[in-house]
Amino acid sequence: MKSKIIHNAISALGATVILGLLSPAWAASCPVKGGTLIWGHSETTQNLYTHQTGTISTMRILQNIHDGLVTTDKNLNIIPELAESYVVSKDGMSYTFKLRDGVKFHDGSDMTSADVKYSFEKVMDPDTGAVNKPVFNSVGSIETPDNLTVIIKMDKINAPFLGRLAALGAGAIIPEGSAETQGTMPVGAGPFKFVRREIGNEVELERFDDYWNGPACIERLIAREVTEPTVRLTGLRTGEMHLINDIPADRIDEIKADKNLEVLSWSHGVFDFVNLNYKFEPFQDQRVRLAVDYIIDKEVLLQGALWGQGKTAASPGFASSASYNEDLTQRPQDIAKAKALLKEAGYGPGDLKVVFKATTNYPYHVEAAQILVEWFREAGVELTIEQLTWADWLGQVWVDKDFQMSMMNFNSIWEEDFLYYSLYNSTGGFNYRGINDPVIDELTEKARVTIDDAARANIYKEVQQRVFDKVHDIVVWHRNSSFGAQKSVGGLDTLVNADGATYHFHKVWLKE
Amino acid sequence: MAVTLFLISIITFTVTNILPGDVAMMIMGTQSNPAALANLRESLGLNDPLIYQYGRWIFGMLTGDWGNSLLFKQPIGPILLQKMTASALIVLLSMTIALTLAIPLGVWSAVYKNRWQDTAGSSVSILGVSLPDFFWGIMLILLFARALGWFPSSGFVHPNEDFLLALKHAFLPSLALGLGLMAHLTRMTRATMTGILSQEFIRVARAKGLAEKTVIWQYGLANAIGPVMTVAGLQMGYLFGSIIVMESLFNYTGMGWLTYQALLNRDMPLIQATVFVIAAVVMLVNLLVDLLYPIFDPRIELK
Amino acid sequence: MSIFKKFLNFKGIIGITLVLCVILIAVLAPLIIPPEFATRMDMRARLSPPNMAHWMGTDQLGRDLFYRVMLGARTSINIATSAVLMSLVIGLPLGLISGYFGGRTDNVLMRLVDTLLSFPALLLALTISAVLGPNLQNTIIAIGIAFTPYLARLIRGEALRVAQMPYVEAARSSGATNSRLIIGHVLPNIMPVVIVQSTISLAFAILAEAGLSFLGLGTQPPEASWGLMIQASRDYLDRAPWTALVPGTAVALTVLGLNMFGDVLRDVLDPRSQS
Repeated sequence: MKSKIIHNAISALGATVILGLLSPAWAASCPVKGGTLIWGHSETTQNLYTHQTGTISTMRILQNIHDGLVTTDKNLNIIPELAESYVVSKDGMSYTFKLRDGVKFHDGSDMTSADVKYSFEKVMDPDTGAVNKPVFNSVGSIETPDNLTVIIKMDKINAPFLGRLAALGAGAIIPEGSAETQGTMPVGAGPFKFVRREIGNEVELERFDDYWNGPACIERLIAREVTEPTVRLTGLRTGEMHLINDIPADRIDEIKADKNLEVLSWSHGVFDFVNLNYKFEPFQDQRVRLAVDYIIDKEVLLQGALWGQGKTAASPGFASSASYNEDLTQRPQDIAKAKALLKEAGYGPGDLKVVFKATTNYPYHVEAAQILVEWFREAGVELTIEQLTWADWLGQVWVDKDFQMSMMNFNSIWEEDFLYYSLYNSTGGFNYRGINDPVIDELTEKARVTIDDAARANIYKEVQQRVFDKVHDIVVWHRNSSFGAQKSVGGLDTLVNADGATYHFHKVWLKE
Repeated sequence: MAVTLFLISIITFTVTNILPGDVAMMIMGTQSNPAALANLRESLGLNDPLIYQYGRWIFGMLTGDWGNSLLFKQPIGPILLQKMTASALIVLLSMTIALTLAIPLGVWSAVYKNRWQDTAGSSVSILGVSLPDFFWGIMLILLFARALGWFPSSGFVHPNEDFLLALKHAFLPSLALGLGLMAHLTRMTRATMTGILSQEFIRVARAKGLAEKTVIWQYGLANAIGPVMTVAGLQMGYLFGSIIVMESLFNYTGMGWLTYQALLNRDMPLIQATVFVIAAVVMLVNLLVDLLYPIFDPRIELK
Repeated sequence: MSIFKKFLNFKGIIGITLVLCVILIAVLAPLIIPPEFATRMDMRARLSPPNMAHWMGTDQLGRDLFYRVMLGARTSINIATSAVLMSLVIGLPLGLISGYFGGRTDNVLMRLVDTLLSFPALLLALTISAVLGPNLQNTIIAIGIAFTPYLARLIRGEALRVAQMPYVEAARSSGATNSRLIIGHVLPNIMPVVIVQSTISLAFAILAEAGLSFLGLGTQPPEASWGLMIQASRDYLDRAPWTALVPGTAVALTVLGLNMFGDVLRDVLDPRSQS
């Protein structure tokens, strides 16, 4: 099957990519050079200054303009990028990066350690309002003994630091002094340089011929914003666009059958989970939470809400990650058991009323909620739905934590500390469910100071087990993301980054 | 007029600040955490007292500085200008299309009042209103862009760059918008024509032996055109409301699209700018309609 | 010609029939059809076109569209009627007073109305939703308030025109009280326009409910309303157009019926069209 071939190709390419990145002399071998690729993007590009950008939408563009100090391979192992090599001290208190020689920025200047120091200090500066500032929380000082060496000294051990640096553009290096102009003219060391942008319309990028890892294949990349799914799909079919991201879930099978188009779909990168707020009294009872888990048939819900476009999973982690707990399997639907548990907790049929807040930003959440209403009714619980706009959901559920039950998805958080600490530690930034579990607190703190990668991976496996046992959340699935492309687009297997959410156009080419 | 503008500015400012949620939260989305949010808010100037923010805004507008969009991190002035041009094109085009279709249909319905032609006319005209804008938009895209390939399915091109291409991009959204306008305009044309056709001077014209066509078009419509245009002008408010949805559908980046983005993301300076501009334009058009009213209907005196 | 005879033309008959049908469905359907018919899902028959099992097809969750559109009638009609009534209750007196008295009263009132009129309805709705909270009552309020300025302006224009007619001026100078003139003369003369406007407003109101559901106002799923059904069909229009056409046709027929009924009613009431 096509997807299997692509999967194998990705693995094979993964190995090649690792070898390739370690060898700076490797010249890009493009079957065809040149051409303008038109990409129909589902999101609106916002702030072009990478430090101030928090959303995947803009990051997808910026990650082709900027390279970072380190990055990951297809298996989420950290590998050098702008740094040629790095050494972590035995006590975990200092990181020494040796930069690649001869890396050029788009403005022609050479990258030196001063640029690295500048970039990171900008992120650490509160006035920048950088989204990734927490990454550098334990950084004490940044030293630049020579042009190609950067030594980052920590105030306290932060084992996840390197991983955080590789994720979500935290380690992007910009030229010294360029912060003020990055918003209008983003300059970086990545394979494409910024040409122009029309707000709401499109962003145009051009091949950077002096890219340290060999010039890209295509001459020009135009990222056109088309937010409406039907319109985006039409644009692909009329040939107005070479490729589009995120084909609507119910159309994927149809497009796959279309001989004129190519489809790429993968299930790592986004996970959805059902949230139960600890502030809501009934949910403080373990039995009630367990009952909710038994009410939901995850496979059927996936079929119903997403047309089966995804993979059910019990853990929010990346399946390819060393820290992924493969032993966890979801609880099956068992309405009888759920009823019994509810009765035990003191809720007979009709006693429990729950309000489910779903955001219209993700229509499939609303569909899922409607399916849940039926099952809950069978179990004797009255579930009502409240639709919220994205802004309202963020305000009410995320910030004010004012909700009973909800559903959300998270994008590309593969770095374990970012994922598990933020979501499940009682002081975590994403802990809107009010989870206060001393066991998890202890585990996540311990992981931060555990330098050995294997040991740290095991700690996170324990976290996943604990979350599952206690039903802190009900993870339902990893949702499929997809790409649709004309047959004329080559190199599609290199397009998606390991985080499953950002795209890399370096090795994509046009067959004309 | 200045008073109205002042009132508009007050309402705009109040509304913007009443809306829950703030742009810092929207920028960070699910990456936001309390510490980072606080920092971002401070750096965006969101913590200053309201009166101060209002004053700064008004003073800025008067001196030509419309502030910066917090979302796009770009000065708002040039963005506004570009988006206004885009919307002006489809507003004019859609109104033209609507009137071209609605007036003949309305006249036809009025002439054959209460017969099957009247029903047919009513049916066609309300089609545009029975199904929402996005329905017509998508249907037109599927027909004209996908099936026939005559027009592009999305996007915007500046008229200065390539006028013909700009028209092509503007056509489908304008057509969809026009269909929505038709309902009202057809009915008003019909209503006005019916009233006029039953009047004395029409009977006189017919008695004089003038051809029916002349009676209807030269005597009838000429008098009906006034109120119809009045209604058309008053439809501006509705039209500007419709472009919010339609432009977003087609990704035709005009004022409607910009307003929608601003509202969606709680980008305060941008909300203030777009809402104020749209409100001001609609107000000016209404004012124009008011001034022209007596020209169309000489029996009215403006006191 | 007696009043009833006036309705006995092509248009009148169709108009009345349609309106009666819709009212009947809105009232009777919830009494006859069990509510779960509208929400039960058949996952193996999702987005299926009209067939023997499902007369009007199914939506994306496999729910029968026929039952949904029947049961949805009441909700949609209810919301639309309440909202338009509300806009009349506020807008009619406003427009009448403004148009009849003219002068400074007119200026002040219309200034306020114009200010409100200049704002896109979407924004008003968003604000009301934010301030009052999203529930059904507030949906009606939001739509009602959004429609009022336009109606007030239209009525004011008409009232102004009628108030300046010679016989009204004459009646005024011969001592008739203002209130008698307004209610007795101006009001009947503007009724045609009010009726025509109201019937169109009803259509807009049904659609407005659709648009607002996107903002969280309006009917909450899985309950059925025409507006919600239309809104939900957005992502499936090219694959399953009947998901929009079924509720859309319901709206269209209702609006058509109202329009035709309204037109004939106007003809009955309008003294000018006595021929």
